[in-house]
Amino acid sequence: MHDLIDPELTAEPRGGIQFSGVSKWFRRKGQVIHALSRIDLDIEPGSFVSLIGPSGCGKSTLLRLAGGLLDADRGSVVVEGETPAEALARKHYAFVPQQPALMPWRTVRRNVALLGETNRSAKMRGVSADARLELIEQMGLTPFLESYPRELSGGMQQRVSIARAFALGAPLMLMDEPFSALDEITRADMRYQLLELWERVGCTVLFVTHSIPEAVILSDRVVVLGARPGRITDIIDVGLARPRSEVMEDLDEFHAGVAEVRQALKQGSA
Amino acid sequence: MTSFDDPDLPPPEPSHRLRSFLLTVAPVVGLVSVFVGWEAYVRIMDLRPLTLPRPSDIFLHVLDNPGFYWENGLVTFQEAAIGFVLAFLAAVVVASVMAHSRFMERAGLPVIVLIQSTPIAVLVPVFLLWFGFSPWPKILTAALFAWVPFVANALTGLRAIDPDTHELLRSTNASSWEIFWRLRVPHALPYLFSAGRICIGLALVGAVIGEFFNSSEGLGNAARVGQSQPALNQQLWGSVFVLAFVGVVAVLILATIERRVLRWHPSQSLV
Repeated sequence: MHDLIDPELTAEPRGGIQFSGVSKWFRRKGQVIHALSRIDLDIEPGSFVSLIGPSGCGKSTLLRLAGGLLDADRGSVVVEGETPAEALARKHYAFVPQQPALMPWRTVRRNVALLGETNRSAKMRGVSADARLELIEQMGLTPFLESYPRELSGGMQQRVSIARAFALGAPLMLMDEPFSALDEITRADMRYQLLELWERVGCTVLFVTHSIPEAVILSDRVVVLGARPGRITDIIDVGLARPRSEVMEDLDEFHAGVAEVRQALKQGSA
Repeated sequence: MTSFDDPDLPPPEPSHRLRSFLLTVAPVVGLVSVFVGWEAYVRIMDLRPLTLPRPSDIFLHVLDNPGFYWENGLVTFQEAAIGFVLAFLAAVVVASVMAHSRFMERAGLPVIVLIQSTPIAVLVPVFLLWFGFSPWPKILTAALFAWVPFVANALTGLRAIDPDTHELLRSTNASSWEIFWRLRVPHALPYLFSAGRICIGLALVGAVIGEFFNSSEGLGNAARVGQSQPALNQQLWGSVFVLAFVGVVAVLILATIERRVLRWHPSQSLV
């Protein structure tokens, strides 16, 4: 088995993220929007944390603050003891956008290699070519190794996007509703493919979703957000054991988790 | 009664042979019918060659004077080709600078619009003043004609990149240089090729107009001389035919390159 994470990182603890008193405003056409208000959140290294909430609650903004793609207006975000900008410069984030965002001129093999190629001063050159092939194999993409993205279905394209993120071997993974455009059957499949990879790698995952069952079956903790202004209304610990599997969706703990998140969402929007 | 009725068997394969044969010969049919119609019209109406010659006569005339048309065609082709390449390079440089800075984009747009709105042909006398009796007035005219579509398409191609892919690259702290080469340039290629197809014709127009003004060679000059002397009427039409041929060959060369470079692009999936 190949190393799917940079060997230099395996000795260190995986990236944890601490938000304290974080607020964020946006200005659009003279309007001031209070996107996030007083966010306090401690994400433990190696944990899988979902962000769930109604549209416009600032889930994606929170994700981008953690990733150094946006700056907080108030409060602080600390990632592995540094600022998000420093972690970004060291390429410690693997980002999975909502759309697959593949380069149409690159084959599957070369799309998976993309994130290792940029910013080479950061030492993070991605996993080895062999490890990339193994990731591609695990995602069921081997028959499409030399195919272009337009020859793949939406589900296959999103699998490439996930393989590309893991191929960076970064300690932190930021996923912005990666499954939202997929049909329910593909989506259910991919949850467990994602978990399988994550359990091998052990990176910290911050996962934005609209789906309550998805949040519960994937996560250690589900962070429930409310809107206007975006704020944390509840944090729910999921009591399911690891590794997770499809049969757990029939367990009482799973249903209890789903009910608890649904209740929290209802109260948050009330 | 027959196996055709067996619901578990696939239907017999339909024959595509005739259809694909028809599609292959369709372009030839289109071209030939234009010339046959033209020939028939001239013969039926009994037109004088000075009004409208028969296409068969023009073809024969060109085939009788291969050296003349080869030499002049080469001159015009070289002027147009150098102008085309200059226009392409200048457009890519200007568009790259403009794509990197909002300020440069806003500063550059009015200049582009100004050049776009100026009838470029009127600048040929200016170029003649500057460069005199040399190929440069023609090359510059060809380049200016081709530059505007190139720069407009290059700018769109370099700018209108996918925001998700852009953010993805930013999440690895990619430099703007890396974003330029890995995202902007490949994204701009289809735009540049479609501009190129238009610009081949425009560069030829520019070269010919330059030759109209002041030249002793080239197909533009051959056409001008042919127009001024009734005895050389066939030379006017011969130049038109050879120019059209040069344009078609250039477009075919570009299309061949495009097929290789843009294998990934949806526009190539029809082949």
